[in-house]
Amino acid sequence: MERLHIPVEYTTLANGLRVVASPDRSAPVVTVGVYYQIGFRLEPRGRSGFAHLFEHMMFQGSENAGKMEHIRLINSSGGLLNGTTNYDITNYFESVPSNALERVLWLEADRMRALKVDDENLRNQRDVVKEEVRVNVLNQPYGGFPWLDLPPVAFRNWPNAHNFYGDFTDLDAATLEDVGSFFYTYYAPNNAVLLMLGDFEPAEGFALAKRYFEDIPAHPLPPRANVSEPAQTEERRGEVEEKFGPLPAMAIGYTAPPRGTDDWYAATILDRALHGGRSGRVYRELVLEKQIAVEADGSADTFDTNGPTQMVTRIFHKPEFTSGHTLAAFDEIIRSVQDHEIREDELDPVKVKFRADFYSMLEGGMGAHMPRFGLMHYLACFTLFDGDPQRINTILDGFLAVTPKQAQAAARKYLVPQNRAIVVRRPVANGAAR
Amino acid sequence: MSAKTVSVPGARPATAPALGPERPVAWPRQSVRTLSNGLQVVLAELHTFPKVAAQLFFRSGNAAVALATPGLAEITATVVRTGTASRPSRRIEEDLRRMGADLGTHAGADSSAISIAGLAEFSGGLLEMVADLARNASFPAEEFERERRQKIEELRIERTTPGFLGTERLRQVLFGPHPYAIVAPTEEQVGAYTREQLADFYRRYYVPENALLLVVGDFKTDAMFEQIEKVFGSWKAPQPEVQKSPAPPKNIGRHVHLVHLPGAVQTQVLVGNLAITRRDPDWFRLTLANSIYGGAFHSRLVINIREQKGYTYSPRSGAHPLRQQGYFSVHAAVRNEVTAATLTEIFYEMDRMRSIPVTAEELDSARSYMTGVFSLGVATLDGVVGQLSNVYLERLPADYLETYREKIRALTADDVLIAARRYFDSANAQIVLVGDRAQIAEQAALFAEVTEYDAQGKQALK
Repeated sequence: MERLHIPVEYTTLANGLRVVASPDRSAPVVTVGVYYQIGFRLEPRGRSGFAHLFEHMMFQGSENAGKMEHIRLINSSGGLLNGTTNYDITNYFESVPSNALERVLWLEADRMRALKVDDENLRNQRDVVKEEVRVNVLNQPYGGFPWLDLPPVAFRNWPNAHNFYGDFTDLDAATLEDVGSFFYTYYAPNNAVLLMLGDFEPAEGFALAKRYFEDIPAHPLPPRANVSEPAQTEERRGEVEEKFGPLPAMAIGYTAPPRGTDDWYAATILDRALHGGRSGRVYRELVLEKQIAVEADGSADTFDTNGPTQMVTRIFHKPEFTSGHTLAAFDEIIRSVQDHEIREDELDPVKVKFRADFYSMLEGGMGAHMPRFGLMHYLACFTLFDGDPQRINTILDGFLAVTPKQAQAAARKYLVPQNRAIVVRRPVANGAAR
Repeated sequence: MSAKTVSVPGARPATAPALGPERPVAWPRQSVRTLSNGLQVVLAELHTFPKVAAQLFFRSGNAAVALATPGLAEITATVVRTGTASRPSRRIEEDLRRMGADLGTHAGADSSAISIAGLAEFSGGLLEMVADLARNASFPAEEFERERRQKIEELRIERTTPGFLGTERLRQVLFGPHPYAIVAPTEEQVGAYTREQLADFYRRYYVPENALLLVVGDFKTDAMFEQIEKVFGSWKAPQPEVQKSPAPPKNIGRHVHLVHLPGAVQTQVLVGNLAITRRDPDWFRLTLANSIYGGAFHSRLVINIREQKGYTYSPRSGAHPLRQQGYFSVHAAVRNEVTAATLTEIFYEMDRMRSIPVTAEELDSARSYMTGVFSLGVATLDGVVGQLSNVYLERLPADYLETYREKIRALTADDVLIAARRYFDSANAQIVLVGDRAQIAEQAALFAEVTEYDAQGKQALK
């Protein structure tokens, strides 16, 4: 096996901002990201959807770059930009020709130092976010399935269990004061990591980072919130009405082992044996062999969560099969990996595919025009959650070392009814649109 | 506007730093060769990660047979991966996983493709898999039946998806009798497919003289050519005939096509007209004009209806370069109450582009945007594959990529005005609205005569 080595340099500025550089001179472009350790898990109560609404506000103007100025400066430098809100992180990132590196750092520092927004901006982005929710959830077949459906059924602690996109009444209730206090509380340099990847010298990158970011004052951070879940003792079930789509759908989520534990490695490989496309056991059994389902796959948010998370299977099944019948067929698959070890000749290819997928993620991970997005994303998570970006070069070993016995043990321990939640999407009257 | 702001003082450099000197874009080394059987091969080395991507294209897609059997190319591609003379379906999927590979077999309007990407250490096996699927697909009867049923269920879901319904209707009204009008078959048409039709499409069009093999990634060019000669060299088959398509209609005046989706809480708005192919000399002008109009985050339409008015989350415009005839379209998903207001702004921004030259600053910005994004596309495997496939599939000039940035930089405000006047045809644009009739019919009628359809694609009886 060829071993990949990614060059990574890491430093921390006086204000606590962590800075990671990964040079690669193969193309004249750089990707830059700032990751804040705040996501929708920790948004204020009564303000569901606020972390995401706030992410939009970060594009509405800062001290020296007014509304649309940030976007204009990136686009006119030949670059693309975006931001996303996740469970435990919110990121802002740009890919640009490398001659724009300094400009991008200036822009990111400007909005880390001083957001400058008003009520008009807030009203505007509240409207935009509502349309985002409509286009992605309320006006789409299977919108929000299952990422918005499962958490309220699976979890009991509000940070894990609420509506992450936000109830419209909560979005309406958000004020400029909320924006200010969220910014002050979480958007501190000592709660973030800056990442630079691509065509530059690390020494030069660090010097620029120091110049633009180091005098942004650190803030006192709140004590780490309790996002743990009370012990689960029985299977949890829920049902959601499907307004448009004609097929019944089902999602089964098993709460994953804690990040970094031996079971975490084993459960991740187990997930890839069960899912991972047409060779995975779930697709093979439910779609190809038994032909109960039209589509069946699943995944786990292995790297970029830092709290309760689930391995989720998604099944769209034929209307002539009941959800009970579908679940029984799924349970048979689960029993098979508990009763018998997965043989080496099945597990080894799963690991080969895991390694290939890992490389693909590092190389791209966000379309054809955001080089090394995935590398940036993983480096950020290893830095913020594990304190060590160098894990990028060793993390694979733990997954590739998982044995059939460990995978079976993880299946017996985690893939059990008292560790899972099931949500059914039931179409109304053969679909509203028919 | 409120004067209240959230602000932490203490900023120092008050203006954005100037751009540094630009570094040249170096294209991955490309080699082009045509095998004796007519198969065109393009290789590009990219050694950043130990992966190889291979795409085998056939220059025949759904349009080749759309008038007789809509969707035949797509279902053929789907069933191709389910069995060959020596590998049953399960073996194919297991072999792929053993090589860390993902496989896609798809067809669009103009081409069919077998695409594979996997670990470089298995590049020989990856090529053999592509060749096996291209030459020895066996179309197992039970796999065909299973995929056919799946296709029908997928179609039923698509018919509840606003984006699909909008594109389907727009293509119908723009292309009329031309095969590009058809983006998907009906359930009945899928039900009538036979295994023999698939096998026949495969025999006729999956042939070397109709094909382009593109391989990008971590390999040595000479060794890769040898390997390709070994697995594809003995492949022989006659070249297919290309049939002429009926011309699309010339739409005069605006017309509204309303697709009724009961219970919709948003309107999918589309506006479009016929435009040009990538081979047209106006292509660069059109794409630049598009990026100023609505093709980028910092474009006029996005600033207007998103950042100023808050009507929509992701408005965009695009020039779609199909091989025989392209089209231009604008789309936005908006809340029902502002459907008419959105159309007004879409047309206002079109007409502004058609009548007033863009400013020097906008022009400069847009040119930098296009040349910069082009450079980003050279830095990923998918980007290189995408750019090379555009060039070689559409038989663009050999220096297309190398000269792209200088051609964009040479464009002027006049070029933008010319493109807008030719292709942002606001007076004859076709309007498609997908939404709940009760919420939007009155607004629709403000713009032109309205024809209504149901979500099954049938025109509604008045």
